[in-house]
Amino acid sequence: MDIRIENFTKRFDKTTVIEDLSLTVRDGEMMALLGPSGCGKSTTLFAICGVYTFDEGRLFFGERDVTGLASQKRNVGVVFQSFALYPHLTVAQNIGFPLKVRGESRAEIDRQVRSAAEMVRVPELLDRRPGQLSGGQQQRVALARALIRRPDVLLMDEPLANLDAKLRLDMRTEIRRLQQETGITAILVTHDQVEAMSMCDRIAIMREGRILQIAAPRDMYDRPDDTFVAGFLGNPPINFVETQVVDGHCRTQRDTVRVPLPERLIGLPAGAKLTLGVRPEFVQPSHHTRFTGRITFIESQGREDLFDLELEDGTVLRSIQSVGARVGVGDAVEWGISPHDVLFFDDAGQRL
Amino acid sequence: MRSERTWPITVLLAAASLPLLVMYAYLILDTFTDSAPGAVFPNRFTLEHWRFLTERQGSRASIWQATLNTFIFATSTTALVLFISSTAGYALSRLAMPFRRLFLGGVLILHAFPTITLIIAIFLILQMLGLYNTLTGVILVKASLELPFGIWIMKGFYDTVPWEIEMSGIQDGAGRFQVWRELVLPMVYPGILALGIFSFLSGWSEFILPQVLAPDASVQTLSVYMASLIFDDQNFNFNLFKSVGLFYMIPVIILYLVFQKYLMNIYGGGTKG
Amino acid sequence: MTRQAWLGFGFLAPATLFVVAFFLAPVVMTGFFAFTNMSTATGITGGTYRITEGVISRLAGSEDVPAPLIEALGQQQSVVDPTGLAALAQGDFDAAFVAELEEELGGRTFASQRELEGAIRDLDNRPRRVRDIKAAAELFERSVLNVDFATQADFAEAIQAYAGPVPDTAMTALARAAYTGWSMTTDNFSRLFNSPELGTVAVNTVFYIFATLTLFNTGFALVLAITTFYLPSRQASFFRTVWLLPRISPPVLYVLLWKWLAWDTGFLNAVLEPLGVAGRNWMFDSETSAWTFVILINGFVGASMGMIILSSAIRAIPQPILYASAVDGAGRLQQIRHIILPQLRWPLLFITSYQTLSLLTSFEYILLSTDGGPGSTTEVWALAAYHTALRNYAGNLQYGYGAAMALVLVVFGIAMSFVYLRLFNFKALVGRPRIEQ
Repeated sequence: MDIRIENFTKRFDKTTVIEDLSLTVRDGEMMALLGPSGCGKSTTLFAICGVYTFDEGRLFFGERDVTGLASQKRNVGVVFQSFALYPHLTVAQNIGFPLKVRGESRAEIDRQVRSAAEMVRVPELLDRRPGQLSGGQQQRVALARALIRRPDVLLMDEPLANLDAKLRLDMRTEIRRLQQETGITAILVTHDQVEAMSMCDRIAIMREGRILQIAAPRDMYDRPDDTFVAGFLGNPPINFVETQVVDGHCRTQRDTVRVPLPERLIGLPAGAKLTLGVRPEFVQPSHHTRFTGRITFIESQGREDLFDLELEDGTVLRSIQSVGARVGVGDAVEWGISPHDVLFFDDAGQRL
Repeated sequence: MRSERTWPITVLLAAASLPLLVMYAYLILDTFTDSAPGAVFPNRFTLEHWRFLTERQGSRASIWQATLNTFIFATSTTALVLFISSTAGYALSRLAMPFRRLFLGGVLILHAFPTITLIIAIFLILQMLGLYNTLTGVILVKASLELPFGIWIMKGFYDTVPWEIEMSGIQDGAGRFQVWRELVLPMVYPGILALGIFSFLSGWSEFILPQVLAPDASVQTLSVYMASLIFDDQNFNFNLFKSVGLFYMIPVIILYLVFQKYLMNIYGGGTKG
Repeated sequence: MTRQAWLGFGFLAPATLFVVAFFLAPVVMTGFFAFTNMSTATGITGGTYRITEGVISRLAGSEDVPAPLIEALGQQQSVVDPTGLAALAQGDFDAAFVAELEEELGGRTFASQRELEGAIRDLDNRPRRVRDIKAAAELFERSVLNVDFATQADFAEAIQAYAGPVPDTAMTALARAAYTGWSMTTDNFSRLFNSPELGTVAVNTVFYIFATLTLFNTGFALVLAITTFYLPSRQASFFRTVWLLPRISPPVLYVLLWKWLAWDTGFLNAVLEPLGVAGRNWMFDSETSAWTFVILINGFVGASMGMIILSSAIRAIPQPILYASAVDGAGRLQQIRHIILPQLRWPLLFITSYQTLSLLTSFEYILLSTDGGPGSTTEVWALAAYHTALRNYAGNLQYGYGAAMALVLVVFGIAMSFVYLRLFNFKALVGRPRIEQ
């Protein structure tokens, strides 16, 4: 079932936190709402599940207008950041709670709880209480509880934020597997770009109550609409270099870096200011567009090494390379940029 | 830091605590011994001071009647306070409603209000309502005066329940009432227990309200019973008073020993006295 | 309105009902009663209109009521009039007697009921029993002296019927003088501010609060909190429990133990007499000894609240800070002075404001121990209000005046409560509910 938000506006007292937001999540799709804290992504999620009301705008599940519908009647499953398991109930009672509320028979609840527990792979924990479970197990129970009523929509609010690093990896694949198996339309709210990119079909990136761009993860990474999106995605983050257009190239003020303009941008007037976006993986010893600099910092990440390169004018470029470069801090090097992969942004930060 | 000598402190505290130690030691000792007048130490073991358990003292009702009255008084006020505070506290903590700030401000002001100043007006009101000299009247008054404090405490406990629990309950299809009843209430049981014990002890020990509002022998609580015994010049016998007092205090001691941890929070949190 | 708002009102309804009926109403009513002259004499449910000897003597010399009228009202009178005869005929009397009475005595006036009774005795057909004669005579009683009238209208009607037309001003003055119930007045407050006894009581109150507060509720509480912090934990918890005993003990019992300590042949005397100190009841011996006990009794209870709050405030100080200061060579006293005491400023402020209010208004322990004595040396304001309105040896309970005294405390209490509102940072406590629908 697809989810359609039209012109959603939300105010708290007099501050507008979401303004005129529209978004469509396709049937069976998993959509990430990605953005820094305070961007309104959780507010949007809570408005979809009905905890918050719409000040303006409409919300559709399929063809059904659910804007004024109570939470209880929306048939939405939600997984909260803290998992929100009921501490005084057993795992089985937690998972079965939605069915109990609906007044189903005990046998039926029992049967469904068992199958839901198997789906999330915790059948042996049914008699425990949430306090006796690890973070990952709690997460699985929360998922089972959200899914047991076969909701039309699954919403997840930072579901991995409370887990440690190793578990986070496991649960990423686990959640994606469950979503694909059930074919449910899902929205994932996260501030972590890796989560968004690895788990979701599409990402809606938000900032200050607005959606900046909606795209598939790869597209968004390769072709971010503006500097904010470019900067938000990717770790280590993208390098930004301030340049000006000078006869077919753009170059830094002291000409430490000079990149040829692609054909589509040849028409730009001389002197126009451009911001170059260069991802660290496109700064390599072998690339064509050469520049010289001094290595100021090396961080080993195991399989890869991360270098900070300071150019003469003080610009710092970050490069990530497979282990093997035999250079040390303080060495002067001449490395290159892959010009095809450079992103060009105008004065206002929009990609050209 | 704590390895320094501490015995001077111990001696100092012991000296300051001496009156209390003496008073409470003799409270127990004197209930089953006799002393010669003016003697420091008792000289005879006896159980006669406990005869009040079976014998009436003067024209008073039996001690068991007073005990029953006290029990009814303490449990009824506790039940009222618990029931009313647990709903009102939830509404103030969690429910979006008109005038919420007004209610909250009112409760906050009243919970610190010195209720005993109202005793004269309450006495007159109960007279007018015909509830003077009834347990019902004094129960209603005691519960009402304790309510703002109870509501305030319960609101504090509800405030600690994560919002996500409630949101989750709503998503699972439960109404707000059901969420409160089945999900939130069980999470504040420790708070309810603490408030319950506190109210019970407070009711059990209460003196002024029953003394002023229900002094008749048939509705006397133990505190009033004991006070009338002490102020009765006919029969001045400290050993008897202490035995009645110890009898009166037994439930307090038991509850205190069992629920010490819960009570500490509430005693520190701002009670009367 | 949303469904949760309805639920909210439903959830608040019982609380509101109770608090309004037995908490807010008394607050308002204290203010109301303070402006009445309600007392045991006036009753509390309202009164009747009644001319008594007392009223007559009080009215003597009044400008509003003419002297002849007053004199007339003071007279008893019996008139054998048609009304009385009709009533007699209705009654259980012999018809011959009724006829004879009408014929012989009809239209005559007697100066008292007794005279009429005498006249009846002379009749041939008089009833045989004295009681019946009296009953018959009573029907012709036409004075208003010592007769109750429920309303002012009835009263006026009866006066006019008895004494002829009476001017309005005179009638109003009469009614006011004759009313036996309570009425509105501001006298309580002029009394309050002009009473020298209450001046002493006010001074007592300030002394009592100040002494108890500084010596025990903050002073000794601080000592307890700090010393038990440095003691090994078992000793510390022993002393804390000992000092909690006064708080958890029922007040009646707790004060009894002090009485036993101070009594003529009590523990104190038993210990002191061998040392050559004459025995006496220390609680009532002198003003000084009475105050000492009052302050000790209240202070031993009050110290525990401070102890609990301050102890937990000290324990909230991060251990590393204390270790660090010990490493830096700070002795215990320096540690207390520079690290512990600064942390206790807010808790102490809280305790002070809370206990000031509490000491000002509670009188339970004094009532049970000295009851204000000896004489009225330890009488404090709240206790004086209680004595005035609810229990005194004279037996005339002055509810209105007592309420006026309590009103002073109520106003003070309300003012202090608003101070709390500021201290507690009200805004932080009223966060918006997060579920909107």
